[in-house]
Amino acid sequence: MAKDLPVVPSAPPGTMALKPVAAAWRERHPQIIEGRCNACGECLYFCPEGALKLKETEKGKELEINLDFCKGCGICAHECQRQALRMVAEYTGPQGLLG
Amino acid sequence: MRQLLNGNEATAIAARLARVEVLASYPITPAAPAMEQIVRFISEGKLKAKFIRVESDHSALAAAVGAALAGARPLVVTNSQGLAYMSEVLYHASGLRLPIVMAVVNRGLAAPHTRFPDHGDAIAQEGSGWIQLFCENNQEVLDTLLQAYRLAEDERVRLPVMVHYESYIQSHTREVVEVPAPETVDKFLPLHRRPALDVDNPQAVNVVTGPDLYMDYKYRQDKALQDSQEVLCEVDTAYAELTGRSWGGTLGVYRLDGAEHIFVTMGSLASTCREVVDMLREDGLPVGLLKVRCFRPFPGEKVRSLLKGARTVTVLDKNIVYGSGGALAREVRASLYGPGPEGPFVYSYIAGLGGRDVTSEDVVRIYQMVEEKVKGNQEPLPYEWYGIE
Repeated sequence: MAKDLPVVPSAPPGTMALKPVAAAWRERHPQIIEGRCNACGECLYFCPEGALKLKETEKGKELEINLDFCKGCGICAHECQRQALRMVAEYTGPQGLLG
Repeated sequence: MRQLLNGNEATAIAARLARVEVLASYPITPAAPAMEQIVRFISEGKLKAKFIRVESDHSALAAAVGAALAGARPLVVTNSQGLAYMSEVLYHASGLRLPIVMAVVNRGLAAPHTRFPDHGDAIAQEGSGWIQLFCENNQEVLDTLLQAYRLAEDERVRLPVMVHYESYIQSHTREVVEVPAPETVDKFLPLHRRPALDVDNPQAVNVVTGPDLYMDYKYRQDKALQDSQEVLCEVDTAYAELTGRSWGGTLGVYRLDGAEHIFVTMGSLASTCREVVDMLREDGLPVGLLKVRCFRPFPGEKVRSLLKGARTVTVLDKNIVYGSGGALAREVRASLYGPGPEGPFVYSYIAGLGGRDVTSEDVVRIYQMVEEKVKGNQEPLPYEWYGIE
């Protein structure tokens, strides 16, 4: 039985078919340091992959990172005036460096 | 309404009846007059369509791909060198499952340069994933183009279709063509919008696809192409109900009852062979004709069931696949492989390349040559060239 696929080969922007690809080769990814981010949205302008967005919550605006599209370049962390983002290694914890 | 039309005019009228919305074409002989006539319809307000001027055939088909992705109904008109130049984009159109219809005015491929008819340009694209339908006269050109849109747009198919007719023999020769009323065609072929692009759900089309999925996509594409045979037969039946004209779906059969020696061919040669069959039948000779209308997908199972009881099969190919032979003979033999030693011998002739006329006298001569070989228990050669002395 062939896999269930769209008739017109297509997928969300920035991905290969079906699943995001960036996650497969990213070496690090941004993490929000609690209490530092004021949701100014400056980083959104610098992210080359459109992986960041501000979402509306009960507490107001909040930064959200979509790791499906993040390639781990670190530009967001570099540009943030408040140093509210830090880059963390992709393979930590039980996964280990060798995955 | 009965009109005197050449093949290109039949194409233009079919485009108007099908309410084609985008024409992307680069002028090339002998397909250009079809493009010119459609552009005339557009300028006179008789057809509401966008004519996209392009700098090459490669871009013409690329523009049609864009139009089809947006859900418009595109037409492309080209032949020979133009079709060869489109080759790369042909695979995009079929892989993206786009219902594009293309009229191809078959002309021999250079070198040496020629403008005369043969099927070499079509056969070169046999693996492109397009449905390929061959027409024997201008009535069939008009009818097949209308059927092609319904076939291409069918949810079960969603594939591009080439409609082939031969340069000059058809493109520049006028015949009586029954033109259906626009209301009849609208009933048969309502505009069916299925845009692949959705602004509310943006998708990247033609994404890089890894080994885990590419093969599955190809399996599904090939299955859709194979399954389109049945849909074509349905479409042909529906068309016959409205207009009274059926072209047999994938195959046209003529006087196969009791036929021991069967001709198999495509395109304009089918008309010639039909006359020859009548001539030889008058002499009491048990001959028949199997016309292959749908070359891709190849209706192998049906061909096999129609031919396996014959004593002799003679295939006339207006093409040469260099180093292999005639493309149609190859398909016919492949479909007959399996019936075992009791299956008929298939004699293969390459004839009529680059506009060399194949007259009814030629077909009779081929028939006689084959019959002599049969009497002499001579097994068929892989293929022979007719008319090379």
